[in-house]
Amino acid sequence: MREILRSPTGLAGSLLLALVVVAALFGPWLAPYDPQAFHATARLQGPSWEFLLGTDQYGRDLLSRLLNGAPATVSFGLGATMLGVGVGAIIGVVAGVAGGTADAVIMRILDGVLAMPELLFTLLIVTLFGGGTGQAILAVAITFAPGMARIARSAVLSVRTREYVLAAVARGESRAWIVGREVLPNALGPIIVEATIRVSFAIMIGATLGFLGLGAQPPSTEWGLMVAEARQFMFRNAWTVAVPGVAIAITAMGFNLFGDALRDAFDPRRSR
Amino acid sequence: MESSNQRPVLEVTDYSLAYDTPDGRRDALKSVSLSIQRGETHALVGESGSGKSTLAWSIMRHLAPNAVELSGAILLSGEDMVGSTTAEIERVRGRRIAMVFQDPSASLNPTMRLGDQLAEVLMRHRGLGRAAALREGEAALARTGIADPAALMRRYPHEASGGEKQRVVIATAFACNPELIIFDEPTTALDILIAKQILELFVKLREETGVAALYISHDLGLVARIADRVSVIHRGSIVESGRAAEVFRTPRHAYTRDLIAAVPRPDARIALPVPTTDAAVFAAEGVGVRYGEPGWLTRLLDRSATARYGAEAVSFTIRPGELLGLVGESGSGKSTIAKAATGLVEFEGRFAFNGRRFDGRHAFGPSYRRHVQIVFQHPDGSLNPRQTIGGILSRPLKLYGIVPRQAVGRRVGELLEMVRLPADYASRYPHQLSGGEKQRVAIARAFAAEPKLVICDEITAALDVSVQATVARLLVDLQRDFGAACLFITHDLNLIRQLAHRIAVMQRGHLVDIFDAAEADAPDRHPYTRALLDAVPTPAEIAKGHSA
Repeated sequence: MREILRSPTGLAGSLLLALVVVAALFGPWLAPYDPQAFHATARLQGPSWEFLLGTDQYGRDLLSRLLNGAPATVSFGLGATMLGVGVGAIIGVVAGVAGGTADAVIMRILDGVLAMPELLFTLLIVTLFGGGTGQAILAVAITFAPGMARIARSAVLSVRTREYVLAAVARGESRAWIVGREVLPNALGPIIVEATIRVSFAIMIGATLGFLGLGAQPPSTEWGLMVAEARQFMFRNAWTVAVPGVAIAITAMGFNLFGDALRDAFDPRRSR
Repeated sequence: MESSNQRPVLEVTDYSLAYDTPDGRRDALKSVSLSIQRGETHALVGESGSGKSTLAWSIMRHLAPNAVELSGAILLSGEDMVGSTTAEIERVRGRRIAMVFQDPSASLNPTMRLGDQLAEVLMRHRGLGRAAALREGEAALARTGIADPAALMRRYPHEASGGEKQRVVIATAFACNPELIIFDEPTTALDILIAKQILELFVKLREETGVAALYISHDLGLVARIADRVSVIHRGSIVESGRAAEVFRTPRHAYTRDLIAAVPRPDARIALPVPTTDAAVFAAEGVGVRYGEPGWLTRLLDRSATARYGAEAVSFTIRPGELLGLVGESGSGKSTIAKAATGLVEFEGRFAFNGRRFDGRHAFGPSYRRHVQIVFQHPDGSLNPRQTIGGILSRPLKLYGIVPRQAVGRRVGELLEMVRLPADYASRYPHQLSGGEKQRVAIARAFAAEPKLVICDEITAALDVSVQATVARLLVDLQRDFGAACLFITHDLNLIRQLAHRIAVMQRGHLVDIFDAAEADAPDRHPYTRALLDAVPTPAEIAKGHSA
């Protein structure tokens, strides 16, 4: 962890991420107003001392809505990523370790799935299962799995032919030991790093689904939905779109920078 | 050959260079001085990390961004190149200084025909037209002794052998009649026989052109054959410099003496006494390994698809306590045999061990796997980077139940002591160790299982000369203490003549010769064995030095 904080990108990523995590954990309690309370006299206002980030078309406080939406948005990103990465990594590791025909069959199926654009595939799944947060998480997870499987497989393959793995095979170690103790610890780095970077993608896809009305439903304070609802008032008060938009960008950037720093820190040769 | 009234082609005076690293400034070269006259070959000898390649790059003016030049001058025919502009350097590189690298396949562009690459250099540096450049290139290639240069020029790098590629690189270097050519280990990546040819080519071209050459190498035997002058570099400083014959005959600096002493001499045997019994502990009986076995679908579509033999019908025996050397060039199948014997690849034929026969990799039981251990070539790759040294060494102890669980820690300490490493290394990670130390850990891991046979697959190839000698000695000591037999795979013939009781020679997957180490010079040796033995310089030649 100290290693991460020592690099500029790591520090920036950690700070952004800390901001997002605080908002996600304590947001609803920090909010100055009820996120659904209308202030009929103060609609579509810019930032002021009363409303720090301005108000939307119903006069709802944007800061309060943002803080209230943080847990839903961030947990959506984390949940979808964990599910997708978990499933994908298992498929990839199985394919990489098994090799041969099993590997070929699994990878060709995944290639087929990958051929479909990510967002289009998500939309297809959401259309099948219906809208809503749970379905959206599932959809994002399913679209993530093939890519993750590929990364996990290539990580496993590059490690599998190393001499220490061959030494373990020659020693007569069990398959479980070889996979669990020799291959996985050395293949985990790229998987974890990819996962942190994917969180930002998940948040953005979630926001997109919210924007299209296929994810969270009004009056939810999910950030993508906030952008969608504010869209028609964009020219009357740009803040209504900018505030949730910037929040999404900060979250995505935080996870991205943190993931980059994590990749560097994960290299055992660099740790002192 | 030396003419004092002439200005040297290359003169490096009091040159110091350091690298800025996160841990502070690290000296790479400390007030280095050397000079090369026209027609002279100056060898720069040193081990990895000594700064010899850094010096080559400084002369080429191709420095890493974090390099800081502290002092000194690099004069090319009297012009100082330190501080010259990019445009000036562009005019020097390739035209006045050329460079030949270690790995010919890495220094050629794989998507360009060899002829075009050669012609490109001539067009760029000598301003020739394309047709003239191609003609000139063909002539240059012909001078390197290639039978059909026109045909070679139409080929791509992957269609040429390593030796042919290196000839193209050398032809390119000589093509612009440079004043100085820097050779950075040009034969290290090649097989013994090819390396010898390349070396002869180098000597011939140098005599024809009279170019000054800086020859960087770690191989003293090779340097003794070609160099007029030698500089020995150690940790960034030149510790000794002088005429090759003098340096090799009467080395003044302790480090030079160590280097020369570390070169294996066939007559200075460090092997154990010859085993008394004739009963074999281990035997290969007609072992063959096929690679690239086509699947049924491939066979259906392409009837000509067949497997390639990595090794075929290989038979040998190893007696208890014996060290059998297995030598051959790359691709001869020596490592394939090691892999088959440790169950890493499927094989045909049989291995016999301790009276039991195994006719497939799945027949190897825990007892076989415990008693037949393997040590790999690359010290960096053979230890899991995420396990501590203690964890790595305790694994075979636990797996085979060699010692009771509570005694594992103590045994790890003993093993480290046996390979002459401090006991507190147990808590370190592999990346904190040097290459030689890592290789000793790998050897300790193999001996932790208390094996009857240890297979060493080129274990000294990736190590420096001085480290090689200590690792070889260590292996013999451990062999004596544990009473283990050893199959020692190597391409270093001097080393194996020092170590082995018997030597087996492999060529293109077949075992062509097997003989007692003492009979290496006998007249009835297989011609291939003869060629291999003749290709390596013996230490006697080193002591004599370059006579020219």
